[in-house]
Amino acid sequence: MLPNLKVENLSCVRSNKVVFENINFEVFPGENLEIIGSNGSGKTTLLRTILGLIKPEKGIINWLDENDKFNDFRTFECFYQGHQLGIKNLLTVYENLKLTHGAKGMDENKIYECLERVGLMRINELASNLSVGQRKRISIARWLVKNFKIYFIDEPFSALDDEATSMIEHLIQELNSKGCSFVITGHRPSQVKANRISI
Amino acid sequence: MHGSISGWLTIILKRDLLIAFRKSSTYITPLVFFLIVVTFFPLALGPQESLLSSLAPGVIWIAALLASLLAVETIFSDDFRDGTLDEFFISLEPSFILVFAKVLIHWLITGLPILFASLIAAIVLYLPFESFIPMLLSLILGTSFMSLLGALGAALSLGRSAILSAIIVLPFSIPTLLMGTSVISSSLTNQDFSGFLMIMGAMLAIGIPLLCLLTVEALLLNYE
Repeated sequence: MLPNLKVENLSCVRSNKVVFENINFEVFPGENLEIIGSNGSGKTTLLRTILGLIKPEKGIINWLDENDKFNDFRTFECFYQGHQLGIKNLLTVYENLKLTHGAKGMDENKIYECLERVGLMRINELASNLSVGQRKRISIARWLVKNFKIYFIDEPFSALDDEATSMIEHLIQELNSKGCSFVITGHRPSQVKANRISI
Repeated sequence: MHGSISGWLTIILKRDLLIAFRKSSTYITPLVFFLIVVTFFPLALGPQESLLSSLAPGVIWIAALLASLLAVETIFSDDFRDGTLDEFFISLEPSFILVFAKVLIHWLITGLPILFASLIAAIVLYLPFESFIPMLLSLILGTSFMSLLGALGAALSLGRSAILSAIIVLPFSIPTLLMGTSVISSSLTNQDFSGFLMIMGAMLAIGIPLLCLLTVEALLLNYE
């Protein structure tokens, strides 16, 4: 089996400071990678570099295409959840899911189903009235609108209670069984079954 | 993928128009600003019809230009702050479409209300009825171009002072101001104004691809 993503000797320098260097890993279908590091160690920068938002200093980022060839450009959609969750305060919980990029053409029942899975029942509530944890649940509901090949999630377990943490672990496991992979970051190893690298 | 571009454009338009509708200050502020500036002129200069109608092209255009710049800063700032902009650039859809959609939304919430308000301004400033159509045509083309320029200014000043985008945009708006006022002035003296409208149309036609692409590059600079 070929990996969907292959990163070789990736280094990033910002403002003349080395953020990370010589990072190597592969992400296989249905498998996870956890990037462990302290605050400011460059976890977010690494995710953004892989996804093309930041130019690397050196290194290769290879994506598998539908012909099983590796390219330096991506031909499949990925999901990215950063520290800012991409939630619009002036939209309701329902609208935040309905008017998201991945939800194009999705029927209403599927949206209700996704929200129910993450335990969000106040679907007509404006997102601005929700707590950080509940806003995070909206973002997690967006994982389910479509099966993305790779999910890049920055600190998925922060600001969540035990119940939500366990729900995420189950969701990751469920999506893994469908061939989806997760690249997650954290300060310490989580309970998720994953390959781990430290930066 | 490309078959879904229109679907994506529709999602951005629906989402941002809904947000603008709920945040009424976005479209009310430029509208009120435009009307206040225009109505202050008769109050300050007195109700002399000939004086006001001769000043009308300049007054309407300067007010429209400044009013359309009021909401420029917000074109990308909210998306940048809440992480939506990251999602746009990470998706496989062309970023050009995102910028075009944002420009269109900016025009719909600032340019379009100004068009309606310009009819009131024209009456207040004693502009002859024959000049209404040329005025509206010049404003449609000019405010659209201003939204394009505004998007570039907003992208270059993202995360910085709101006034910076206006400072970046204003010098580049001079040709639009000159052409726009010339259209109305020519119609006042019964001269042919189609040449000015064609230049404005050409500026818009070139501006849509060029300024949208420049704006994409300017937005990406914020990630470096």
